[in-house]
Amino acid sequence: MPVIGYLCAESPDLFASRLKAFHEGLREAGFVEGSNVAIDYQWAEGQYTRLPALAANLVARNVDIVVAPGGAQVALAVKAAAYNNAIVFEMGGDPVQLGVVDSLSRPGGNITGVSSLSVDVSPKRLELMHEMLPVAAKLTVVANPTSPTANSQLQKLRSAAETLGILLQVVNASTEREFEPIFSGAAEEAGGLVFTSDPYFAFRSRQLAELAMKYRVPAITQSRDFPMAGGLMSYGGDFAQSHRRAGMYAGRILKGEKPSDLPVQLVTKVEFIINMKAAKLLGREFSPSFVSAADEVIE
Amino acid sequence: MIVRERFRGLFQKYLLVLFMAVAIPLVVNGVVEAWFGYRDQRERLDQLLGVQATSAAAEIHDFIFDITNQLGWFVQVPWSDEPDERRRTEALRLLRQAPAIVGLALIDHKGLERLYVSRIGLNRIESRTDRSADPAVVGARSAQVWFSDVSYHRGSEPHLTVAVVGNRPSVGAVVAEVNLKLIWDVISAIKVGKSGFAFVLDRPGRLIAHPDISLVLRGAEEATSKPFRNIRDAIGPAGAGFATSRDAEGREIAAVAAPVAGPDWTVIVEQPLSEAYAPIYAALWRTATLLAAGTIFAALLAYALAHRMTEPIRILEEGTEKIGAGSFDHRISIETGDEFQRLANSFNRMAAELELAQQHQERIAKLKRFLAPQVADLVDRAGDDSVLDGRHAEVVVLFCDLRGFTAFSAALAPEQVMNVLSEYYACLGRAITEFAATLISFSGDGLMVLVNAPVPVEEPALRAVDLAVEMQKSVQGLIADWRSRGYQVGFGIGLASGAATVGRIGYADRFDYTAIGSVVNLAARLCASAADREILIDAEVAERVRGKRPLERLGDRQIKGFDEAIPVFGISFDAVADIKPQGSGVIR
Repeated sequence: MPVIGYLCAESPDLFASRLKAFHEGLREAGFVEGSNVAIDYQWAEGQYTRLPALAANLVARNVDIVVAPGGAQVALAVKAAAYNNAIVFEMGGDPVQLGVVDSLSRPGGNITGVSSLSVDVSPKRLELMHEMLPVAAKLTVVANPTSPTANSQLQKLRSAAETLGILLQVVNASTEREFEPIFSGAAEEAGGLVFTSDPYFAFRSRQLAELAMKYRVPAITQSRDFPMAGGLMSYGGDFAQSHRRAGMYAGRILKGEKPSDLPVQLVTKVEFIINMKAAKLLGREFSPSFVSAADEVIE
Repeated sequence: MIVRERFRGLFQKYLLVLFMAVAIPLVVNGVVEAWFGYRDQRERLDQLLGVQATSAAAEIHDFIFDITNQLGWFVQVPWSDEPDERRRTEALRLLRQAPAIVGLALIDHKGLERLYVSRIGLNRIESRTDRSADPAVVGARSAQVWFSDVSYHRGSEPHLTVAVVGNRPSVGAVVAEVNLKLIWDVISAIKVGKSGFAFVLDRPGRLIAHPDISLVLRGAEEATSKPFRNIRDAIGPAGAGFATSRDAEGREIAAVAAPVAGPDWTVIVEQPLSEAYAPIYAALWRTATLLAAGTIFAALLAYALAHRMTEPIRILEEGTEKIGAGSFDHRISIETGDEFQRLANSFNRMAAELELAQQHQERIAKLKRFLAPQVADLVDRAGDDSVLDGRHAEVVVLFCDLRGFTAFSAALAPEQVMNVLSEYYACLGRAITEFAATLISFSGDGLMVLVNAPVPVEEPALRAVDLAVEMQKSVQGLIADWRSRGYQVGFGIGLASGAATVGRIGYADRFDYTAIGSVVNLAARLCASAADREILIDAEVAERVRGKRPLERLGDRQIKGFDEAIPVFGISFDAVADIKPQGSGVIR
C-alpha cells in the first residue's frame, strides 16, 4: 500500500475541514485512506519552526509522496529537506515567485501542487475595507513577518494604497499573543484591520473574530472561517477547492504520473463572504454593491 | 489395400460435397451479414459521434454565449456623464454569478473606460482612460460580439477576451476577460460512451479545454497540443464524418469534430476505437462464432451423412470380396431400407445360389470320379448322395482287360505305353459314358464297370451286354492297328449279374464306390477266362438277354473260387449291330 506523508503546520482539529477536502480529492482519484493508501501525518500544532524537523521525519520514512498543504512555509520546508520523491503542495502564494516551481505550466523537478489566489488578492481586501470605511484615511495591515509571502504582499498592498489614495500602517503578528494589542490599537484609532494572506491568521480565524467583536473593529481576512465565526468579512481563495485538487494530484501521482507533467493549478474561485450581523454590531451597513458581489451573506 | 483407398476416396468425396453444400451457403450468408452489420454499425457510430460532437459544441457555445448574453445587459442603457452605481452593482453581481469572468470593463460611447471590476486586481471607477483604440472595442464595433485569440495567463491558464457592443453607439461597450479553464466543468461532464470524451481546440489548434485540466494548463506548449491538432487534421473539415486517428498515448481512436461558431473553435469528441467498434467486434464475433459452430455442425453432418452413405457400400464391398474369395456362406447385412438393402439382398441371394452351385459342383466332381456324368448329374439333382450309401443291389459287373499287354508294354518306351493306354481308356471311357455305366476301378490294362448301381437302370443286363459289345468293337479297332505293328494283343470281357453289396468305401477324402460279392468274383473270373474277342457272360445275364442278343452256349466251365462248373455263355460282338444305349439311368 502506498504511503502519503502529510505534513501540516497546524493541529488536526483546526485542519479538519481542509483534510476532509483533501480526502475528497484523493477519493476522486480513486484512493481511500486505509483501503488502498496509508497516510503518515505530521502535525506541527501551530509551531511553524518545527516544520523542517517534521519534513525530515517524512524524508527519513521514505514515504511515496509528501503532501504539503496550508502554505508556502510547509512546501518550502519539504523542498528544503531535499526530498526525492514527489511533493504536492497547497498554498496561497505564488509558487513561481517563491521559487518552489520553475513555472506554472511546467513545474519541473518533483514538485507540483495547487495555489489558491489568497496572496494575490490581498490588495482586494484593502480595497474592500476602503470601500467599507471610505472616510478612513489610514488603514492598518496585519502581516506575519515569518511568512515567506509577507514582503510581496506588503509591496502589493502599498501600491494599492497609493492607487486608492490612503495611508497604510503595517503591524506585525506572528504569535497569538500579538493579536489583542493590534485590535485594541485599531479600536482606539477607529480604523479597520486588513489581514494579509497567511495560514497562521487563517487558522486562527475564531480568535480573530472574537477579538474583532470584542473591540468592535471592522476587519477582513482571507478565510471564510472569519465571518463564519462572527468576523465582518473575508476575501480569499476557496480552500475546499484547493485542498481537494491537491488530493486529486496526490492520487494521480500515486497512479504513476510525474509531478513535472502536472501544471500547478490556480484556484479560480475567490470567495467574498460578508456577515450582516457583524456589520450591524459594528453599527455599519453593507452597500448594495457589497451584497450583490458577496458569494455568501451571513445574516 | 487398393479397395480401402477407393473406399476412402468415395468417403472424402461425399464428405467434401456434403460439407460444401452446408458450409458454403452458411459462410456466404455469414460474410454478407457481417459486412452489412459492419456498415450499419459504422453508420450508427458516425451518427452517434456526430450527435455527441454537435451537442458538445452546443454546450461550449452555450458557455461562451451565456457570458456574452450577460455582458449584453451592460449595453442596454445610454451612458451619462454621472458615475453609474447601478452598473457597478450589476458588474459585481456578474463577477459573482459568472466565475469564469476574471474581470470586466465598461466603456462608454466616447470610448472611455468608466468602470473596471476584477476578481484579483483593484477595481477602477471612472478612470476615463481612453480605450477607443482598444482592439476589443474596435472589433466589437464592427462585429457586435468580438472574441480575441486565446492567450495563456502566466503561460498556463487559457484566457479569452470578449467584447460586446449595444445596438447603438450611446450604450457603449463591455470588455470582459474570461478564464477558459472554467470550461472544464462543461467539458468534463461530456462523456462519450464509457471512456470517450471531448476537447476543444482554438483556430491555431491549441488545446483550450480537456477533461484532464493539467493538459490545458500546460499552456501553448507545442508538444501537448500537437497530438490533438493531429486528430483535428485527421478529421479534416468539421462535420465530415468520423475519422480514425491516434491519441497522445498512441491508442487508436474514432473522432468527430464540430465547429463552435463565434470564437471559431473546434470541438472534437473522441472515443477509443476499441470501444467505438465494440458493437462491431461483438457482432463480428457473434457471426464468427455462429459460423464456426455452423461449420463444425456442417462437418459433423457431412461426416455422418457420408458415413451413412458409404458404410453400406463398404459393407457391400467387403461382402462381395468375401463372397468372391469363396466364402459363400457370408451374408451382407444392410438394414438401410433403401436401394443398398435391395442390392445387399441381391448379393445375398447370389451368394446363396453360388453356394448351392458350388456344392453341386463339388458333389458332381466327386461323383464323376466313378459315375457317368449324366448319372452323376442325376444323383446330384436328387439332392443328396444317400444313393451312394451301402446297400444290397442286383448289379451287373463287367470286367475287361487286354491280353498280352505286359509283353507289349515291355517292348515300348514308357511314354508310348501311356499313349497307348490313354487311347485305350479313351475308347472304353466313351463307351462307359455312353451307356451310363459306373466305372469302379482301373488296374493296369483292366477295369471294372458296374451297371444298375448306384443308379438303377432299365434292363441292366442288356445294357451291360451292349456296353461289352461296344467295348469289344472299339478296342478291337484299336488293337487291329497294334497287331499290324506286330504286337500280339488281345481284349476280353467278362460279365456277371447278381446280388452284391454296393456303396462307398474309403477314408477322409479318398472314397471309391465299389461292389462286393461273388458276382464280382464271377465276372472277374469270366474276364480272366475270356480269350481275345470274347465276351463271356453268366447264366443270369444270358437269361436276361436271351432272344434279344445272339447267345452262344459255351458249356460249363470250372471257374476258380466256385465249387461247381458254371454255365458260361458267349456273345459274338460281330453278330451284334451297332447298338445305342436305350434310355438313360432312371432313378426309381
